[in-house]
Amino acid sequence: MTWSLAAIAAPSQDTNGAALYLTGRLPDGGELEAQRPGGVVSRGVDAACVQCHRPSGLGTREGDVVVPPIIGRYLFRSGPVNERDSELPHPPGVLPNVYAYTAASLAQTLATGIRPDGRTLSPLMPRYRLDAGASATLAAYLSELGAAVVAGVTATELQFATVVAPDADPGARDAMLQVLQRYFAIQRELAAVQVQDARTEGRPGRHIARVWQLHVWTLTGAPDDWERQLAEFQARQPVFAVISGIGRGEWAPVHAFCQSRRVPCLFPNIDVPVVAEQDFYPVYFSRGVLLEADLFAARLRHYAGGRIVQVYRRGDAGAAGAARLRLAGLGAEFIDRSLPPVDADLTPAATLESALAGLDAGDTLLLWLRPADLRLLGAPPSGRVLASGLMGGLEDAPLPAAWRDHAEFSYAVDLPERREVRQRLARSWLQTHGLPPTFPRLQTDTWTACRILAGILDHVGDAYVPEFLLERLEMMLGRRLPEGYYARLGLAPGQRFASKGGYLVRLGVGDEPSVTAVTDWTVP
Amino acid sequence: MTVRERRHSSATSLSVVRAFAAVAVFALVGAAGLARADAPDAADPHAHHRQMMQQQSQQSIRRSEIEYTLPDVRLVRQDGKAVSLKDAIGDDRPVLVNFIYTTCTTICPLSSQVFAQFQSKLGAAKAKVHLVSFSIDPEQDTPARLVEYAQKFHAGPNWEHYTGTVEASVAVQRSFDAYRGDKMNHGPLTLMRAAHSKQWVRFDGFASADELLAEYQDLIARH
Repeated sequence: MTWSLAAIAAPSQDTNGAALYLTGRLPDGGELEAQRPGGVVSRGVDAACVQCHRPSGLGTREGDVVVPPIIGRYLFRSGPVNERDSELPHPPGVLPNVYAYTAASLAQTLATGIRPDGRTLSPLMPRYRLDAGASATLAAYLSELGAAVVAGVTATELQFATVVAPDADPGARDAMLQVLQRYFAIQRELAAVQVQDARTEGRPGRHIARVWQLHVWTLTGAPDDWERQLAEFQARQPVFAVISGIGRGEWAPVHAFCQSRRVPCLFPNIDVPVVAEQDFYPVYFSRGVLLEADLFAARLRHYAGGRIVQVYRRGDAGAAGAARLRLAGLGAEFIDRSLPPVDADLTPAATLESALAGLDAGDTLLLWLRPADLRLLGAPPSGRVLASGLMGGLEDAPLPAAWRDHAEFSYAVDLPERREVRQRLARSWLQTHGLPPTFPRLQTDTWTACRILAGILDHVGDAYVPEFLLERLEMMLGRRLPEGYYARLGLAPGQRFASKGGYLVRLGVGDEPSVTAVTDWTVP
Repeated sequence: MTVRERRHSSATSLSVVRAFAAVAVFALVGAAGLARADAPDAADPHAHHRQMMQQQSQQSIRRSEIEYTLPDVRLVRQDGKAVSLKDAIGDDRPVLVNFIYTTCTTICPLSSQVFAQFQSKLGAAKAKVHLVSFSIDPEQDTPARLVEYAQKFHAGPNWEHYTGTVEASVAVQRSFDAYRGDKMNHGPLTLMRAAHSKQWVRFDGFASADELLAEYQDLIARH
């Protein structure tokens, strides 16, 4: 993984330290060289500390391999790190009773692989020969790493926000907010009990739950002003992370804000994420309509047909899906039939009818449409029909019965029979809290995002650091955290889309239509 | 799978070794060769555990010899070609196997570097040895990403990388007792087998290129 300096902001004004730690560039401009036992040599970014110790410096664990934290508070403290020390966070890689280094003994250990207490470092840890300048630069960087005050974190509270874009469907927005507010209210109640118990029992402050607070950041106006608005929100009420969120089309300004302000932004309910996996802070359930476009491309790859006619509304997510498919190199003739934005279309049925006119039997019709449009479709064409499942509402898509025989929906979630138990859990939670399942996927995704967040925060060992939150997410998502609607979720350094594939399905008729996969699970 | 002991100590009964860990434990000291750990004391039920812990802290690797039954699964090679696991492993050349994923920053780069170094130390003999790296993150590791990864480690024509469905990847990992539930939980592992043999030599831990080379030469001499 290559980290750019811009991807993870340096805690220091001294960019040499960040360059050394994140990219393996020495202060004199040369490449850092790492030597491992057995003569294995790495250079430059491959030799950089960040590869194993991670952007937070708090280390990691891979199988039995423990990469300990190396922030200054561990390395350069005056006494040993032990379990009774309530001042220090205890992430999973922490080694008790670690010898306290000085800048000089650190340089010595880096060069020899022998710790000041005489023990040998793991064979995974390279040997580095740094000159005095580079050693001092590294020691200064590590001293500052993890020392900054983290926004939105106090001894008793964690502040979170959710983002509502102006184009969000009001019903969907309310459904999302209700799930978040309910989840946060329960978390607050549970945390309050834990805090009370700890006080009663006279336990020290470490490992005490913080109370979660939720702020709703509602954006207004054109997208080019959103990043400024978000920065203003963050200045007024700093938050530790953005959880969930909702929008229909544009999301790039929110992504840009999260990345530039070092705010983890976890699992928004959107259809067009920004594909920039070298960015660190924004994380998505999937690539949304971009993934769907790739699923369609895989389906059409061996299809020697006529034209591909794509229908979408301008300003909605389908435009991005259609653009992606056009670039898939299918060699077909593409025809875009873009419709006016929904609020500007006074006669949607008539507009749709004209968009679907003049199709030949050999044409493929691709519908990037929301339920309101699907409901209005007239007679189906005789050719192949493909439709966006994420936009259309998956099995709830109100596609007229006459279309269902030959229309194939993209289905970038797990099949209903396979996610039934998980979904029953979500439905039962909604029911318990008096929330009707009006937007089942959105509500489940929102609830899943909250549960994932809670699962990670249970395992950060009081290290409330934005980078560490994301590192734990990368570490834990494939293992112990809920999947909700998805077949499986997984991340890693440089992976920011947790679910990577999908099916094409046919829908039956009736209130609970059958969902029949017509392809295998495909990862395009 | 069946576990066989090749070089167990005369003081150690095979059943004791099997009962404790199903593998013999050797500490590899330096790059020069093998040094055998003392046999666990059967009188002390925790002796073996203590010994394991001590050896782990001394950065030991565990060597064992095992027969594996390989499942009939289809994989996808880095050039996009579908290949059965049996054909991917092959039978006419000695083969080395490891498990990687391309976005791994901790264990896998070192494992792949060791393969690269092993390949280079073989010199002209490298054409006679087959190296196989299986992705344990197959949904991320498309053939294109495997090609990029292979190039980064200067993989020659005899070093192949494989991906496939999650089910196929898990089946391969399980068949080599390498599946730990998730890619983030994997450990350093190298396997080696002579041509036309069912017996694998297994290294759990960071085996160096020299250690692999010594084992390889031993393997060739024995077959």
